[in-house]
Amino acid sequence: MQMTEQQSADVQVMGDTPHSASESLPESHPAADSAPVEPDAEQAHTRYAISPQRELPAEDDKLPMSGIRIIDVGNFLAGPYAASILSEFGAEVLKVEHPISGDPMRRFGTPTRRHDASLAWLSEGRNRKSVTIDLRQKEGVQLFLKLIAKSDVLIENFRPGTMEEWGLSWKELSAVNPGLVMLRVSGYGQTGPYRRRSGIAHIAHAFGGLSYLAGFPGETPVIPSTAPLGDYMASLYGAVGIMIGLRHREKTGRGQVIDIGIYEAVFRQLDEIAAAYGLYGKIREREGSGSFVAVPHGHFRTADDKWVAIACTTDKMFERLSEAMERPELASAGLYGEQRKRLAARDTVNQIVIEWVGSLSRDEVLARCLAKEVPVGKVNSIADIFEDEHFQARGNLEHVQEDGLGEVVIPGVIPKLSETPGRITNLGPPLGNATYEILRELLEISGDEIRRLRQHKII
Amino acid sequence: MTQETRAALPLAGIRVIDVATVIAAPYCASILGEFGADVLKVEHPVGGDALRRFGTPTSRGDTLTWLSEARNKRSVTIDLHRPEGVELFKKLVEQSDVVCENFRPGTLEKWGLGWEVLHAINPRLIMLRVTGYGQTGPYKDRPGFARVAHAVGGIVYLAGMPKGTPVTPGSTTLGDYLTGLYGCLGVLMALRYRDRTGCGQYIDAALYESVFRCTDELAPAYSMYGIVRERHGPTHNDFACPYGHFPTKDGKWVAIACTTDKLFQRLANAMGRPELASFSTYGEQKTRLEHRHDVNEIVRDWCGSLTRDEVLNRCYAAEAPAGPLNNIADIFGDRQFHARRNMVAIDVEDIGETIMVPTPIPKMSETPGEIRHLGPRLGEHTDEVLRELLGMNDQQIEELRHKHVI
Repeated sequence: MQMTEQQSADVQVMGDTPHSASESLPESHPAADSAPVEPDAEQAHTRYAISPQRELPAEDDKLPMSGIRIIDVGNFLAGPYAASILSEFGAEVLKVEHPISGDPMRRFGTPTRRHDASLAWLSEGRNRKSVTIDLRQKEGVQLFLKLIAKSDVLIENFRPGTMEEWGLSWKELSAVNPGLVMLRVSGYGQTGPYRRRSGIAHIAHAFGGLSYLAGFPGETPVIPSTAPLGDYMASLYGAVGIMIGLRHREKTGRGQVIDIGIYEAVFRQLDEIAAAYGLYGKIREREGSGSFVAVPHGHFRTADDKWVAIACTTDKMFERLSEAMERPELASAGLYGEQRKRLAARDTVNQIVIEWVGSLSRDEVLARCLAKEVPVGKVNSIADIFEDEHFQARGNLEHVQEDGLGEVVIPGVIPKLSETPGRITNLGPPLGNATYEILRELLEISGDEIRRLRQHKII
Repeated sequence: MTQETRAALPLAGIRVIDVATVIAAPYCASILGEFGADVLKVEHPVGGDALRRFGTPTSRGDTLTWLSEARNKRSVTIDLHRPEGVELFKKLVEQSDVVCENFRPGTLEKWGLGWEVLHAINPRLIMLRVTGYGQTGPYKDRPGFARVAHAVGGIVYLAGMPKGTPVTPGSTTLGDYLTGLYGCLGVLMALRYRDRTGCGQYIDAALYESVFRCTDELAPAYSMYGIVRERHGPTHNDFACPYGHFPTKDGKWVAIACTTDKLFQRLANAMGRPELASFSTYGEQKTRLEHRHDVNEIVRDWCGSLTRDEVLNRCYAAEAPAGPLNNIADIFGDRQFHARRNMVAIDVEDIGETIMVPTPIPKMSETPGEIRHLGPRLGEHTDEVLRELLGMNDQQIEELRHKHVI
């Protein structure tokens, strides 16, 4: 599954959806009347506490990010996920989307009965209000700048240069809001020779050095983890940058730009790979299911054709594993008691573990290892995860009732904060569900003017 | 770096005690340190943080991972098994803003340093607690490592050839870094809340949760349609084709990802076969997914007929999304990494070598992060910190050392 699309400029301009489809898009509120706008029914519906043990703070202002308004004009996940996390902790997020097709993530992944919402959109578009503005039109740009003047944070992930073409360069944005904190995520960053190349997470995993490492030695490199992993990583760095930027702004009044290439987020997580090549010329290769630093440290098949992960990072852990295998002599100094010796006899040690694990069911392996405090875990499929009592106890799966769709299960909020736990107020909203509300109430634009903007397809 | 610029960093004035080990919680402290926080690495006097032994050793004994990831920290040795060590630690907590820890639940409590105690000493304190499974739930006491967290969190199941052995998802430390990031974000949000209310709190982060949170629509798709996603192999994606890794004539690999029809059109142009993107052939994602084996075969044949450089240059010219599967040698030679200054060479005097380490990200225009020094020697700053923060004199420090408290 692919979430980042740094061709986003193209996507916004051309889209996958035929433009004629625009007429069939339903309006999520009366097009333009001056009656007070009802709070979005869905939003009220899906508000619930994140954890059963703890009361939801009565008001959003008890959350750390309350009072912060974020404009998320990105597509897919790289950058926008930063807005998701901050919204879980109280920030207001306005998703600014093209009036016709909106964020392409609405159509990416598994579709639902709601035509403008794939499952990925429902989950990762959480807690937003959707405001449609066409940034290719001058009036749309003017409207956008008015929103910027009333906001704290802007998140974008167009191909570098696109915002500038629209008259939305940092210079122009900071002129209307000198305290603005702007997160810019792209495949390769805003600078350097490759900045204009299209960069999506799959390419960034490869370019950043992660994909080369996934798979068996000398064999085909496989896709590491999930397709948008790099998008999540880049967004986490982005959210950290936003928090630091807001702190600096509070001290000095000055905003700034945070510039992230997705590949950088990937590369930053590869521990000593750079230092080891720099100093010793060591090129790390694919390690199969193992690790270059410890043995046994990998994935093992059980008698019932399932898999477990075992990680003996230290000698003590191997001693415990030997006890669990009822072969304590293996951990003696003369045999494999030391990591050094185990690394030297990697295949022999792994074979012993392969045979032992292969002789027992997954439950038996787990029970014996856990009794001896060996680091062990199931290689969980999503079906395993749904059955797991620990996921349930920690509230990692949020069950949300959504009108017209029934129950949607999405990952819950992390990290868990003791005083100010985050919350999910709504799933990915319908396209433009808050356009009227935001223009009318925040920008104080008249009903007549909103009608005109809509007629001209600016919103 | 001058004292003036250092003072200007956004986290100047924030003191962090990093009493954790290996990567996850310490990485939170590393990021805070890059942006100006004073990080005290509190370690056991004998051996210190296990990260000093994780990875490739240097002539000093400390590994390269330690040198890189313990950047900017000051090492202070305290034995928390001794009552005097516990008292010393409490005094440091009084003067700090953040504590990062990753002991198994109950360990700090056993030493008399649980959240209740520390919170009473310093009500403004923010505490990051990282474990494999979190502070609650039935598995909370199990030992947790990133390897296991990757498995439990659901990403290992997805990595490998279909029906084959699940492989390491590129690195054994991803879950550690991800959790450090979530922890750091939690700390920064908690600091913001504290500035407004005076109220501290703790953050409960679990390795497996950080991993599970990166699984896009895995959970809703299972819940709504019963779809169990299986291992991807090198080219599989449920929603896009072609998407994956393809070998080139010179025995290297490229990544190609056509997530939209527009991108496939560009790839078809790059291949010199624009007709492939016509409506009646493979112009639509739906058609390409139905004929994924044929489409992948076409792309594989094309890539296999050219060198990696040729494939990439043709793709770049047509703006098709492609990139090399870089190994670390490729990365060292890459212009973009150089232009973005993604690595910096730092002289480590007592090793007599220059060490290459990744530079701080994210890049911030007004307040870029900085590396002041690499991972310190064990206890390098004990005396300095005890003098500076606790006003101790040489004699008191010597006494503590004599009793093996520090």
